[in-house]
Amino acid sequence: MLLRLKKFVFRKFKNSAIKHHELNYLFWECTTRCNLNCLHCGSDCSKSSSFQDMPMADFLNAIDTIEKPSQNLMVVFTGGEPLLRNDIEVCGKELRKRGIKWSIVSNGHLYSEQRHNSLLNAGMGALTISLDGLKDSHNWLRNKEKSFDKVISAVELAATSNRLNFDVVTCVNQRNLKELSQLRELLIRRGVKAWRLFTIIPIGRAVKNSELLLTDRQFLELMNFIAECRKSNKINVKFSCEGYVGRYEPLVRDSYFFCRAGINIGSVLIDGSISACPNIDRSFSQGNIYKDKLYEVWQNKFEPFRNRQWNKVGQCKTCKEYKDCQGNGFHNWNGDMKNVFVCHNKKIENSRKYLN
Amino acid sequence: MKRSWLKKIIGGLSLTSAMFVFQACYGTPQDFGLDLLIEGQVKAKTTGLPIKGIKVSVAQNMQYQITDENGNFSFYTEMMDKVKLEFADVDSVQNGTYANRDTVLTDLSEKVYLNILLENK
Ligand code: SF4
Ligand code: SF4
Repeated sequence: MLLRLKKFVFRKFKNSAIKHHELNYLFWECTTRCNLNCLHCGSDCSKSSSFQDMPMADFLNAIDTIEKPSQNLMVVFTGGEPLLRNDIEVCGKELRKRGIKWSIVSNGHLYSEQRHNSLLNAGMGALTISLDGLKDSHNWLRNKEKSFDKVISAVELAATSNRLNFDVVTCVNQRNLKELSQLRELLIRRGVKAWRLFTIIPIGRAVKNSELLLTDRQFLELMNFIAECRKSNKINVKFSCEGYVGRYEPLVRDSYFFCRAGINIGSVLIDGSISACPNIDRSFSQGNIYKDKLYEVWQNKFEPFRNRQWNKVGQCKTCKEYKDCQGNGFHNWNGDMKNVFVCHNKKIENSRKYLN
Repeated sequence: MKRSWLKKIIGGLSLTSAMFVFQACYGTPQDFGLDLLIEGQVKAKTTGLPIKGIKVSVAQNMQYQITDENGNFSFYTEMMDKVKLEFADVDSVQNGTYANRDTVLTDLSEKVYLNILLENK
């Protein structure tokens, strides 16, 4: 009864958030250059170094179309590897002058003591570093020897700051699934307070490498692992926003599933395209900063993101969970809009059936 | 009656979207903005001229910045009850030699500006 009431209230809250669609999380794909060549790269976004980095001034011009930035607005520098740019700090300070907070997603390789200092000085407030397992499995996925050691020193450094809202993300796959408990211990020892786990969706290179993808039973194992970890408060472990997980919703994250792409989350991509999360099929782009005003596009377009009735097709058409899931995370769809790539809930229910 | 109760809850929720802290899968956690901007200028007490190359550091964490050619510094740091700043001449005789100095900042708001005078050694 209480659960039903909570779900009902949350649905109302979602409708209200959709109606207001306040922009408070803006990705900037500031470079597609990268110092790594990860096995899963391209599985969830299109990375190409054939693009030039977008000039900072072009991005700031787009930002300046936002008349009154929400006090929650934050720019998230992403890539490629954002730390390959040496003007992140200058851009960060410009954003702070405009009352906008900022953060970085990094693979940690260039996160030195000096860079840590200069980023904090420039007002960075949040940071995410990827660590994909214990030494061998991390280095395997990142396709680079010594990557693990570099990331660990970046993690240690970031964890020293009380200012940063810092977390580690791990891309869970067949190699690291059994290591998660050890990894959790390692992170706790290194002073990490928050850990987010996600999986890879089967597109791009990931299709060809079955080790990257979890079977339904392994996915259930992951859910149980997260639910178990959340009983202790040594480290805040959660499942990322990537998909609706049905009965596990109250057990694996802080609030119910809500894909905020195009509702609170926008992006300026490397070629100037305006979209929501960078891992969304690029055919869903809503405009381009070189032709359109970012904020006008945000306010007046984004219809497929704010009204998702179009995705009541394929397996979602007759699904009983649709009201709470609404066709899963947006990044689980491609431009043909015919069916969802992955139904996390189905994975769970399939493996539960198998176990019963 | 039930409707107005529900309205209150929902109305409250919509006004506090920050209440539902979120992050996109490939994004970062949100920043709650708990910092302050410290800016200022370091000058020589005797001549009144700006001093380049002074290390301005926060005693409670690892953060520091070196003053530029106009003696200016500007950085964000964690908001605390008290911030202890240390000014140290770290470039030997280059740009003159000055005695180190500490300053404790209290009653902090989001932004502070400091004029610091250093004595010659
Ligand atoms: S079938 Fe579609 S709507 Fe139903 S749970 Fe799966 S992804 Fe969600
Ligand atoms: S599109 Fe994917 S990454 Fe973006 S908010 Fe939705 S579920 Fe999260």
